[in-house]
Amino acid sequence: MSGPPEKTAGVDTLRVDVRAKRFGAAQVLGRVAFTLAAGETAALLGPSGVGKSTLLAMVAGTDADFDGAIARPPGRLAMVFQTPRLLPWRTLAENIALIPGAGGIDAARALLARVGLGAAADQHPERVSLGMQRRAALARALAVRPALLLMDEPLVSLDVESAQAMRALIAQTLAETGAAALIATHDRREALALTGRLLELGGAPATLLSDRASPLDAAARADPALVEALHAAWF
Amino acid sequence: MTRARLRGAPWPLLSLAGLVGVWALAAAWAASPVLPGPLDVLAAARREVAAGYFFHLGATLARVAAAFALSMSIGAAIGVALGMSRAADRAFGGWLTLFLNLPALVTIILCYVWFGLTETAAITAVALNKIPNVAATLREGARALSRDLAEMAAVYRLPWRARLVHVAAPQLAPYLAVAARNGLALVWKIVLVVELLGRPNGVGFQLSLHFQLFDVAAILAYALGFVLVVQIVEWTVLQPWERRAARWRR
Repeated sequence: MSGPPEKTAGVDTLRVDVRAKRFGAAQVLGRVAFTLAAGETAALLGPSGVGKSTLLAMVAGTDADFDGAIARPPGRLAMVFQTPRLLPWRTLAENIALIPGAGGIDAARALLARVGLGAAADQHPERVSLGMQRRAALARALAVRPALLLMDEPLVSLDVESAQAMRALIAQTLAETGAAALIATHDRREALALTGRLLELGGAPATLLSDRASPLDAAARADPALVEALHAAWF
Repeated sequence: MTRARLRGAPWPLLSLAGLVGVWALAAAWAASPVLPGPLDVLAAARREVAAGYFFHLGATLARVAAAFALSMSIGAAIGVALGMSRAADRAFGGWLTLFLNLPALVTIILCYVWFGLTETAAITAVALNKIPNVAATLREGARALSRDLAEMAAVYRLPWRARLVHVAAPQLAPYLAVAARNGLALVWKIVLVVELLGRPNGVGFQLSLHFQLFDVAAILAYALGFVLVVQIVEWTVLQPWERRAARWRR
């Protein structure tokens, strides 16, 4: 494991120290240990089915059945799930407003306007496109002003244009919120374009294969040519 | 008649009118007091109105409402508990099957024997007949609750009230509607039996009285009145509520 520059591990750090995760007899995760400082963004990179979503669920606290320990930073946690997981019987604005700490329906409308959904705020989720549902789910995550933001394949099954718009939106919101973020993805270019650090999962049971800090800063990551060059150098 | 006019015709009304026509013809052909025609039944209804038709109808409706409310709330609570906890289902699932298959008449007789010929016994007996039904339906609903949405609610720290109102209730609504519709049909049938066996008023009591007098016209007058009330509840309460609950669907 090539170690990243060691950050001072403060109390507002996410500390993951997983020894094993099993589903029945099958072990899906081996040793996976890393820390994520406040405001740091990292990609959890690996092929489909390797255990990224499982690890995210463990970090989110919805799956507590594993060997090891995960210490979450204080403050709110937000998650953008692989499927949007909006309540289909509530409008987009209502979906956000009913989250504790989101600040009511007007704040929800304002937030939706920020992700380009101002006109769709009072639509029900099933009446808008998947790309719009994803953006609404991102707006919901931002609504709680999270200390830690988890995203599970935020660009998967979007068409090229929606994916590009969503990628730009995520990059922008990550820069604005200052939340620590962990983004699971199978797409290396996506990982390089969105985050400053790549945590690569692989093997069976999956372990952390590598942990690399990206030389690109937030501005450089927005340049497709630089991302492509780094991709060529690393993979 | 053009196609468009055919489509716009009030078919349900025409169909019902046809049934009344068949009935009138059969009555005219039989020419017997045990098969009175529509007009005889209407005349009987007029007579019964003077003799307390609405008092008896009201007494029965009050029992239906009480038993319905009791069985829906208790049955839903039991069903959701069984559907959400596998341990509870293992412990009490067998009881549910037993009570589902217990004949209504047995519960009614036992309630009257144990609690006396009282209003409480009557309503308890009806509710006990319906609760297992509601519970079985809602158990299916609770089993089908989305894990994805439950996780979302946990991650975003929704308080239990919000989880109930915004997450669980809308998922259970179709099951509640099925339980309510089947429930109403079952409850009002059983209420008549309860009244027939041990109450001094209500439609069931009147039916047994007119049975002893062999007054078929009066029996049909009560039956049709009741069908009408149930249909009105369906149109004015159940259907609008279901439409409202399904607004968000594509």
